Amino acid sequence: MGDSGTRLAVDPNDRVTIGISFGNSNSSIAHLVDDKAEVIANEDGDRQIPTILSYVDGDEYYGQQAKNFLVRNPTNTIAYFRDFLGKEFKSIDPTHNHASAHPQESGETVAFTVKDKAAAEGEEEEEEPAPSTLTVSEVATRYLRRLVGAASEYLGKKVTSAVITVPTNFGEKQRAALIAAAAAADLEVLQLISEPVAAVLAYDARPEAQISDKMQVVADLGGTRSDVAIVASRGGMYTVLATAHDYEFTGVALDKVLMDHFAKEFLKKNPKAKDPRETPRSLAKLRLEAEATKRALSRGTNAAFSVESLSDGIDFATTINRLRYETLARTVFEGINRLVESVVKKAGLDVLDIDEVVLVGGTAHTPRIAANLGFLFPQTTRILAPATDTSAINPSELQARGAALQASLICDYDPEDIEQSTHAAVTTVPHVANAIGIVSPGPSGEEVFVPIIPTDTAVPARRTVQLSVPAGGDVLVKVVEGNTHIKVTKPEPAAKENGESKAAKVEDADEDADEDDSDFSDEEEEEEEEKREKVWKIGSTLAEAAVRGVKKDGKVEVSITVYADLTVVVTARELGGKSAVRGTLPSA
Amino acid sequence: MDATVISLPLPALPEGWEAEKDFRAIGGITKSSATARTLEPVGPHFLAHARRARHKRTFSEDDR
Ligand SMILES: Nc1ncnc2c1ncn2[C@@H]1O[C@H](COP(=O)(O)OP(=O)(O)OP(=O)(O)O)[C@@H](O)[C@H]1O
Ligand SMILES: [Mg+2]
Repeated sequence: MGDSGTRLAVDPNDRVTIGISFGNSNSSIAHLVDDKAEVIANEDGDRQIPTILSYVDGDEYYGQQAKNFLVRNPTNTIAYFRDFLGKEFKSIDPTHNHASAHPQESGETVAFTVKDKAAAEGEEEEEEPAPSTLTVSEVATRYLRRLVGAASEYLGKKVTSAVITVPTNFGEKQRAALIAAAAAADLEVLQLISEPVAAVLAYDARPEAQISDKMQVVADLGGTRSDVAIVASRGGMYTVLATAHDYEFTGVALDKVLMDHFAKEFLKKNPKAKDPRETPRSLAKLRLEAEATKRALSRGTNAAFSVESLSDGIDFATTINRLRYETLARTVFEGINRLVESVVKKAGLDVLDIDEVVLVGGTAHTPRIAANLGFLFPQTTRILAPATDTSAINPSELQARGAALQASLICDYDPEDIEQSTHAAVTTVPHVANAIGIVSPGPSGEEVFVPIIPTDTAVPARRTVQLSVPAGGDVLVKVVEGNTHIKVTKPEPAAKENGESKAAKVEDADEDADEDDSDFSDEEEEEEEEKREKVWKIGSTLAEAAVRGVKKDGKVEVSITVYADLTVVVTARELGGKSAVRGTLPSA
Repeated sequence: MDATVISLPLPALPEGWEAEKDFRAIGGITKSSATARTLEPVGPHFLAHARRARHKRTFSEDDR
């Protein structure tokens, strides 16, 4: 892992492990039941546990209870602190802390000042206990202690160790700070794993999952950030090809859209009342209820908004339908699409290269976001979100589940084993830039490339395929390198002036999306689209082999292994046949 | 990974094709066509990779 800093070590025989996802907005805890990862509900029955602590009369509250105190006790409530771990005050963004305890500079780190102690008993009433200044590490320790407490209570034994997920841009200092904060909470961090990879593992660990080679986009849409990663998933091994991090098109931005909408509607009905956005307490109520309404709009096509004494003592209740919400939130939704597009490009890929889009995070429940991403990719791309795929896993649970799975995989490892297995000497390896495959005769006699080892596969790698030999006899196994390009066929010149095709949109989205006011979905049907397809181009030949005397309707199995030094070994044999043809190609 | 079944045929061996032990090496993967990247140290397949790398084992030795 290479994270320096204080770390706790527990004897593998004594470990009780869980997986933790630790977000700025919410956290989750998960464990394994009969090899299946399950997210644990805490004492309040919550599986998404707000990452918030609140102090009232010396009592510490966390999770949803602490979140509710944002209305009545904001200054003693600490929220949105995960990203501050291991950071200096001058490099943090305190935007989301306006309505709760404010972060402040404290030496090399960030701290919050809250009244976390009760007034001493028997003393004079006025004697207020002194407030405490808690470093962000101390806050993280206290919060993790509560998560571990909830998990221990649920499991009936003390949790000792965990795998925790972190964003792909979590730096070395942040990792070290998190590990130390966990150690101070008496929790051994077995490994920190990256959030998108945890999500992908949660899918691949399902019993019905087929381990294959696929290119995935992991879009993690949370509260304060949206993180996207391109993951080359190769035989169950994962390589992150590109990432992007956005702090604008987020769940909080969607809350803001609804807050403004309801505030305006309130003022229209109560023209003399004070704008609820102008008093902290009204604003806090508005925010909590707007978020609840937003979530309800993921489930139903109508949702209620109702706050007692919203502003100037006036109650306010109304409803909103999903369509209205989607219109209001359009800029945010489009920003998410552009973000995803930009990462695909950053990885040097085309939308046609993407096999799966895995949606992660609370905001990924939003049906419109999943639908819009569907329009960005070809129909063959699977969009794994609750709104588009009934087999999708709850996007809010993916990371914690992945962490729990990883924890169970390494719970018997000594710290040195983990250290060695995750060391750069083992993880940093050559990846083939071209695909390796064989040639099959196409319908009109041309050579068709059949990929066997795809691009961006880490070596050593081995893949085996079976091909048919309908006519029987002697066949040629021609091993070649291959690569793809995007072939664009222009439609017949029945020209349209201002319509733009989906394909053109994909390329120019950065410039166009702002001005374009028609809806993503409506454009689809009407237009004659430019046809874009991914085609294989055959590159240099690596080897030829003959498999002789194959029986009619027989099958030939071809296996290609690429070793760490890029030596290639090819074997080919008739299925059920005895002898195999085998050859070695040294790296050129 | 298990063998993938591909519903495509193999071409017939061209007339007169000959090679020692029926295998003809023609090229190889060049160092420049491989990129050093970092595998995520996560999941059962990575751990199998790490085990092979640390114990210098091949795929076939691992299969046994
Ligand atoms: N059903 C839902 N529909 C729409 N949005 C939802 C739903 N459930 C949760 N959210 C939103 O998801 C966001 C929280 O996402 P998540 O639980 O993934 O948090 P997180 O990873 O801690 O966030 P971050 O670190 O980005 O602040 C909040 O904005 C919340 O309102
Ligand atoms: Mg998150």
